[in-house]
Amino acid sequence: MGLITETDYQYYEGQQLFPWGSAEYQCTFNTKMLDLGPNHPSNYFVEWSPTNPPLPNGWNLLNPGVDYESWENVLKVTAVQPTAVLLRVTLIEPAKWDNYGGYEYIKLNDIINNFMVAYVGEDKIVERVKRSDVIFHAKRGLQEFSYDTLKSVNSMEIEVPPSLSFPIPHDYVNYVQLSWIDNIGIKHIIYPTNNLTSSPTEVPIQDGGYNALPTQDYWGENLEAQQSRTNERWRRANDRVITGERDDQYIGVYDWNWWKMAYGQRYGLEPTTTQKNGWFNIDERRGTFNFSSDLTGKLIMINYISDGLAYDTNMKVPKMAEEAMYMHILYSILSTKLNTPEYIVRRFKKERSSKLRNAKIRLSNIKLDAFTQVMRGKSKWLKN
Amino acid sequence: MVSVDEVYKTVLYILNKEQRGYMSPAEFNSVATQVQLEIFEQYFEDLNVQLRVPENDSEYANRQKTIKEKISFFETNDNITGGSPFDLSGLTAKVHRLGTIEYLPQNAGFAITSSYNPVEVQEVSQHEFNLIRRSSLTAPSYDWPIFTLKDDKVITLPDLDNIEVYYVKKPKDPVWSYKVGSLGQYIYDPNGPIGTLQNFEISNIDKTEIILRILAYAGIIIRDPNIVSTATQMAINEDNIEKQ
Repeated sequence: MGLITETDYQYYEGQQLFPWGSAEYQCTFNTKMLDLGPNHPSNYFVEWSPTNPPLPNGWNLLNPGVDYESWENVLKVTAVQPTAVLLRVTLIEPAKWDNYGGYEYIKLNDIINNFMVAYVGEDKIVERVKRSDVIFHAKRGLQEFSYDTLKSVNSMEIEVPPSLSFPIPHDYVNYVQLSWIDNIGIKHIIYPTNNLTSSPTEVPIQDGGYNALPTQDYWGENLEAQQSRTNERWRRANDRVITGERDDQYIGVYDWNWWKMAYGQRYGLEPTTTQKNGWFNIDERRGTFNFSSDLTGKLIMINYISDGLAYDTNMKVPKMAEEAMYMHILYSILSTKLNTPEYIVRRFKKERSSKLRNAKIRLSNIKLDAFTQVMRGKSKWLKN
Repeated sequence: MVSVDEVYKTVLYILNKEQRGYMSPAEFNSVATQVQLEIFEQYFEDLNVQLRVPENDSEYANRQKTIKEKISFFETNDNITGGSPFDLSGLTAKVHRLGTIEYLPQNAGFAITSSYNPVEVQEVSQHEFNLIRRSSLTAPSYDWPIFTLKDDKVITLPDLDNIEVYYVKKPKDPVWSYKVGSLGQYIYDPNGPIGTLQNFEISNIDKTEIILRILAYAGIIIRDPNIVSTATQMAINEDNIEKQ
């Protein structure tokens, strides 16, 4: 049996047609149909048509929650429409987008089921294992793979607010790159402040005494200031003082140093700060990205990695790394199981390592055409 | 299934051959129940042994397969509803060994359920039950539910609305039913006024062992040590041959 269960019509159009007349309809979308709930909006709608074939404008919407409801992709229609002939279920656009390209992945639940079937049992390498152990190692594997193997880079497009700070994304684990986007959509990398400035993790309010000790509240905890003065000063800072960028109003051509500036030869110029893209740092105290003042109002792209476990829909593994995941689970189980011969453990350590390497190579997407294109650049003559 | 009438008649034939004694139907029925349970329980011990020796691939001489087939006749399942904790007391009289517990997602408002695969509920000890739910990576979910047994109750996490319990049922007690003839003799009658016929439910392969074991008990009843020792020795020999 093929692995694709949706028809092309369902996949591309996000729609499924039924002849009207049943009380319940079994939808076969890969996407789970959601009714309006406390934590999510509905991701589909239902229409009926009085003609077959339907007219382009002949579809009539049914009322969600009143005329129909769904459970586990079974649609139950309670509306009475004597003239209805066809029923159409349509996924909304974001639900369709989530499904597009879904064949590239395998769900973590399927990985666990496959593993239990193929690797655990009588006369197999693992005779007996608790399913919860497999779940643990599979999820840990997904986390580890997410950091450096899988294509799990998420990106968020934001506009820097006047406060110059933005909350760290919900499923953030580490950043890959932050950049601002110019008018033609080009990315300009913005750099971490490193040693330029930092955000304090504690800002105690000090008493006015000689030793300026922190003050405490009723429960004996240090009182904390809302605002860090370091952040405040950084927010007001003129970046040009750091970067050495020339002021448009005063280009300094009469300055005896102007030519040195133009050639980037000014004494003491620090190459790491000589850039005009701006800076960011992470304020661990408030859980925000802080941006330098020249980035106010600019469009920012935050590229970051997550661990793949934040949302149910994230718990999937690229098929390119499926075998690596099995080997990771197998090695993890064997290496933590008492009395497993060491040569078996070593064998699967090597297996895991080689499968992981394969997965990395596959997922790094090195295509011959792209490689050739890069190599062409190397044949260019450079003039000095 | 082994005919209780054939076994009883064989036992009587052997006992009476040398005028050693007689075994009444009531005595036979009690002993037959005991013997059936002994042999039935032995299936599981034998399977345990066979699982630890290399298995052959033959169709009819694979001991592991044979024992599994013997047990499979008693494998059955029941659906229990009502939410966690699920009360197993209704099954206690029937259950010999508890097997897998599955959960089939159901919604009372929907008739279609056929498209769902049941989810196996993982059995854990009370200790693990507490540990597993504390780990964010292994916390039970509707995809991966767990259960623990406590006082005839199945406690599940998360709270499931129904479970399908797979188990090995106990074999029914064999009954040689009869009526009393005009001379006071016992006459086999499947629909007899005394008891309702119930054959041995265990495998036909074990007919010889049933007879030998009943004979051993019969030897005790009629106080004949020769029969006890001969029957016991024969039963042991047969066992040894099976397990070599």
